Amino acid sequence: MKRRTRITTLFCAVALAIAGCSSSASQSRGSAASLATKAAGAYPTGPVHLTMWWWGDQEAHGAKAWLADTVAAYEAKHPNVKIDTVLQTTDGLLPAFQAAAAAKQGPDIQYFWGGIYSQQPAWTGQILPVSDYIPANELKHYLNASVEDTYQGKIVTAPWYVNPQFPVLVRKDVLAAHGLQTPTTWTDLLTTCDKLSAAGVTPMAGGVKDGWFGGWLYSMLGGQTITSQADITAAVTGQQKFTDPQHAAWWQRLQEMVQHHCWNSDINSLQLYEAQQRWVSGQAAMTVAAGSDASNFIKKVGEQKVALTVMPKFGNGPYAGKISTTSQTVGITAWTKYPQVDADFIQFMHTPERLQAWYDKTGSMPADDRFDISKVSDPAQQSLFKMALNGAPYPENFIPTELDSNAVFTNVQLVLKGARTAAQAAADMQSQMARLRVTDRAIVKNFEAWTR
Amino acid sequence: MPVATTASASTVATKPRSKRKRDTSWGFLPWVAPAAVTILFVFGYSLYQLFTQSLQYQGTWAGLDNFKIVLSDPLFRTAIAHNALLLLVVPILLALAMSLAILLFETRRGLRGYRATLFFPYILPIPVVGVVFGQLLQFHGALNKVFGAVGLGGLASDWLGDPSRALWTMAAIIVWKEVGFGIILFLARLISLPTEVFEAARLDGAGFFRTHLRITIPMLRPLIFFYIVNEAIVMVSWVFNYVYVMTNGQGGPGTSTVVSELYIYRAAFQDQHPELAAAASVLLFAATLILVVGFFRLQRGEGTFGE
Repeated sequence: MKRRTRITTLFCAVALAIAGCSSSASQSRGSAASLATKAAGAYPTGPVHLTMWWWGDQEAHGAKAWLADTVAAYEAKHPNVKIDTVLQTTDGLLPAFQAAAAAKQGPDIQYFWGGIYSQQPAWTGQILPVSDYIPANELKHYLNASVEDTYQGKIVTAPWYVNPQFPVLVRKDVLAAHGLQTPTTWTDLLTTCDKLSAAGVTPMAGGVKDGWFGGWLYSMLGGQTITSQADITAAVTGQQKFTDPQHAAWWQRLQEMVQHHCWNSDINSLQLYEAQQRWVSGQAAMTVAAGSDASNFIKKVGEQKVALTVMPKFGNGPYAGKISTTSQTVGITAWTKYPQVDADFIQFMHTPERLQAWYDKTGSMPADDRFDISKVSDPAQQSLFKMALNGAPYPENFIPTELDSNAVFTNVQLVLKGARTAAQAAADMQSQMARLRVTDRAIVKNFEAWTR
Repeated sequence: MPVATTASASTVATKPRSKRKRDTSWGFLPWVAPAAVTILFVFGYSLYQLFTQSLQYQGTWAGLDNFKIVLSDPLFRTAIAHNALLLLVVPILLALAMSLAILLFETRRGLRGYRATLFFPYILPIPVVGVVFGQLLQFHGALNKVFGAVGLGGLASDWLGDPSRALWTMAAIIVWKEVGFGIILFLARLISLPTEVFEAARLDGAGFFRTHLRITIPMLRPLIFFYIVNEAIVMVSWVFNYVYVMTNGQGGPGTSTVVSELYIYRAAFQDQHPELAAAASVLLFAATLILVVGFFRLQRGEGTFGE
């Protein structure tokens, strides 16, 4: 027994010693991240095989066909290059990339949502800044890159298409059947909710089972009381608090919506796309869609029955009553062998012919100011695109992803279920952020460096 | 003669034994070594990585900081509490599996059909189970519609959407899926037990409950221990799939279904804290190890399955 104890103790001591000795300092604790670099080199003439992991067909239907065409056209232009594309699921996009990054193999080109979703991989050295490979006079045309995707003067990922976040889709026919019109003020909205729910109609259809819609609600409501994205990052770094009125007011509004039965009663057990079908079938009067997908929903129901609006205004901030804007992006992974080819393909995605083809296939807006919005024939879509061009920053993209999933997603679910009050939700968000400053020991420095 | 017989028997018994001893010392090595090296390398390397990462932060020595952070994290404590609550399901699983196995053993008629039916959930892939139950248990899903149709609308609930019910709903689904394994396990053992014992008991006037309480359960005891430990390990470190599929990897609503594995997964692959994931994994590994060691100790006390 004694011998066994001794062996166990020895084993533990050796394990601790080995673990302790095997440190290879890569980044000093608490300092801001420096970006990965790799020499570009000349465009290769030998065989090149690239892999692209992407997401987007889920919110921009037709993207798959567009990407297949784009790859085929690029391969025809460069016969030595072969590109495989792998469409990822919504829940799998981030974990799959993290696993690939840990193994330092997988995609050469990776899809990233904007803002924090493109920043964090850059901070951890998982991607190479695209501005190291794409000339500045090309990148200046890519929409939203400077606000969301720039770190220490470098653009880390390249915007692909714009997502105006988030239009509220209204069934005019359903409202009219109950003597109602599209709500334009917050009070209007609550009155509409009362009347429709009393009549047995779902005022707004949503689903938060997978959490993501919680982030949308944060952006639509929480954006109304801030003065700039710097407010959000200040709350992240600790200069402001998520319990301060400008950050906490939206929880109160969400709670009001619950009290007025604005949402479907099963919102917690549905995913958003399931709930959106209720709007399509006329069971719900309103829903929220990704801006890139709005045109598809309008087509399904019929233009004359639908109004496209924004979340009614309650706040006094400069962004109240505005659509937020963000660009979905692609980046070059740190382990790719051919960053110059990756970059060349990204630029090819932005050629005038490909930009127009993107709009034709998906009905959504390419993230490039060289795309001529005046040629968009649908007035609703054109107006949405214009709103996006002058849009507000997208709040969800300026908080740590961990805070999003651990505080926003979860508290939205609980507030919608009536299991947590607005004040409790705000307090929890603040305490989650405080915890995050402990668990992620570089987060404050990275956010400060990002917003500097 | 008897002496000679004993001596020769002893000689006969000794020689092969010593030969066998030599065989077991070296003979198996060429066959076992490659597998052993592979397993030891994979397991050893994983453990090395796990311990290394758990004691570092971004490549620098962090001592026990990661363990302190994990242990003070309310989310981790919530996750562990949920695993502990799920452990309460093990006795229910055991009672259900035992009862159904005994009923099937007693019924005999249609045994194959019942056995297949009860085992069927166990062979279903968890994602399929998750998707099907996810649909069935929606607030406007089939189960609540059935309740409404038979006048039990008051029982309708948001089974997976209500934070106060979600964990128990998930536990019920795990029971539904896991109970088949226990039934087959116990039934297989029951069928192999000597029938004379049961017949003798019946002749002595023992009824159904007395027979199974006094004879069946004691004879199944080693298997019961195995099943308890196996299911306890399931509840501590194998419920990730259920939670991931049914809550889209969120552990919601709120944090109502977060379990330790999901915590580790999220720390490693979503939140980019491999060091915290490693520290939590070490703790989970230790908990599982305690269960396994406990099982072997109990097993040693009770005798092996065949005895």
